[in-house]
Amino acid sequence: MKWALATLSIVLIMGAADRSWSFLDQLVKPSAEKKQSQRTGQAQPGEPKGLVDGLGGLLGAKEKDIGLFKKGLKAVQSLQPIGVEEEIAIGQAVAIEAFNRFGGEYKDETLTTYVNLVGKTVAEVSDRPELTYRFAILNSREQNAFAAPGGYIFVTIGLLKTLKNEAELAGVLAHEVAHVTQKHMLKTLQRSTILANVSEFSLSAMNKDPQLFSNVIDAATDMLFEKGLDKELEFEADTYGIEFAYRAGYHPNGLRDYLATLQSQEGTADSLFFSTHPSTSERLGRAKGVAARYTEASKFPYLTERFRSRMGAA
Amino acid sequence: MLAVRRSITTAIVGLVLLVPSLLSAQTMYVSKDEVKVTEEKSPMSRVVDTLRLGDQVRVLEKSDRHYKIRAQSGKTGWVFKFKLSDQKVGGGGGGDMLSGLTGETRIAAREASTGGSIRGLKETSEHYAESKQIDPASRNAVQKMEDRAISREDLLKFQREGSVGEFSGG
Repeated sequence: MKWALATLSIVLIMGAADRSWSFLDQLVKPSAEKKQSQRTGQAQPGEPKGLVDGLGGLLGAKEKDIGLFKKGLKAVQSLQPIGVEEEIAIGQAVAIEAFNRFGGEYKDETLTTYVNLVGKTVAEVSDRPELTYRFAILNSREQNAFAAPGGYIFVTIGLLKTLKNEAELAGVLAHEVAHVTQKHMLKTLQRSTILANVSEFSLSAMNKDPQLFSNVIDAATDMLFEKGLDKELEFEADTYGIEFAYRAGYHPNGLRDYLATLQSQEGTADSLFFSTHPSTSERLGRAKGVAARYTEASKFPYLTERFRSRMGAA
Repeated sequence: MLAVRRSITTAIVGLVLLVPSLLSAQTMYVSKDEVKVTEEKSPMSRVVDTLRLGDQVRVLEKSDRHYKIRAQSGKTGWVFKFKLSDQKVGGGGGGDMLSGLTGETRIAAREASTGGSIRGLKETSEHYAESKQIDPASRNAVQKMEDRAISREDLLKFQREGSVGEFSGG
């Protein structure tokens, strides 16, 4: 009888415990772990700053914009985060501009499929895997790669020809995927003066006010193709990009190695990277430090032969 | 009375013994649709279950790049760990108080339904291209991006050949 009672007590306790497992998981998990990215077993980028004055630099606003940013703070705070439908609409318009300004589509279906396979391998282990990412090659000799909101990612044929292996391609694409997962452009736009007095940024509102949408795309393309994002966002994309490439099973030195190539060409190469990205030597220094953390990934592949064969005569 | 006391003592002892396993147990959520649970760590081994975005699993054992899990169906097997998330990201599965409060579940589920597969150009984007008189070739190139489909089978074949993705680290 006493054993039956004891067993019953344990069963009841276990039942209650099972229902509260999720709650217990939250309780016992270190707070630092909760703040980390959703995945496990990875190195993490630094935490965002918390002060209002620090926000400008972190979120992409230039120093000169911070005053305006403060003035518009009340209005900005009332604007809800830009939704996925709106993000995709912005992304599509920026993508149209990308083809329009950078030589159009590089018409090689086999190579484009290859870039998509590498990109999707990286994107599906990113921090935003539920979004569908689309990759395209631009017919431009300039070395460049960029990401529009909504998962539209571009790499020029000029950059592809500079790469030595698939791990480098994965690293470059992962850097761009990270801009999308971290919503760098959206956050920067949201804090810009263009949206300072906008309380609703929905598709229906944009259809009613095409000029507002056009202004947003002008700001986005200016940021992407001319001025570049805030350099801290570029460093963050490097760190997350190396992490995503590692998760995908590529050698985490891929991005680092491409940055080393870029640095060796600085001053000679026809590259927009030098005008829209922070100092390559500073990026390379940081990327070396981040990649070196992945000691267990030293045997992960570079896939040099596959890359060469897929590039073929391109 | 003594018997009742002993029973309570036994129950407390049982609970104390149970605590370490409770603390080590971990609930995670599936972050993609159609995630395969396989008998062995290799994704080429027999598929015992297929999970959907947002499904809740219990982690039973961890290795470098794979976790052994128990699905809600009660089936156990191995999953590529980077397709699991600490946070619920939409779909079905069990309740998670935090994501319910923050609205993350709702947002992510919407993202999954709108961000997926083939979709056309949005009216707003079409109007933008027309008003700016952008060459239709650029608009068509974006539509081509939307239309390009990579099958799950092709992606897995590509990953298997290169020992990347689910086939990595082996």
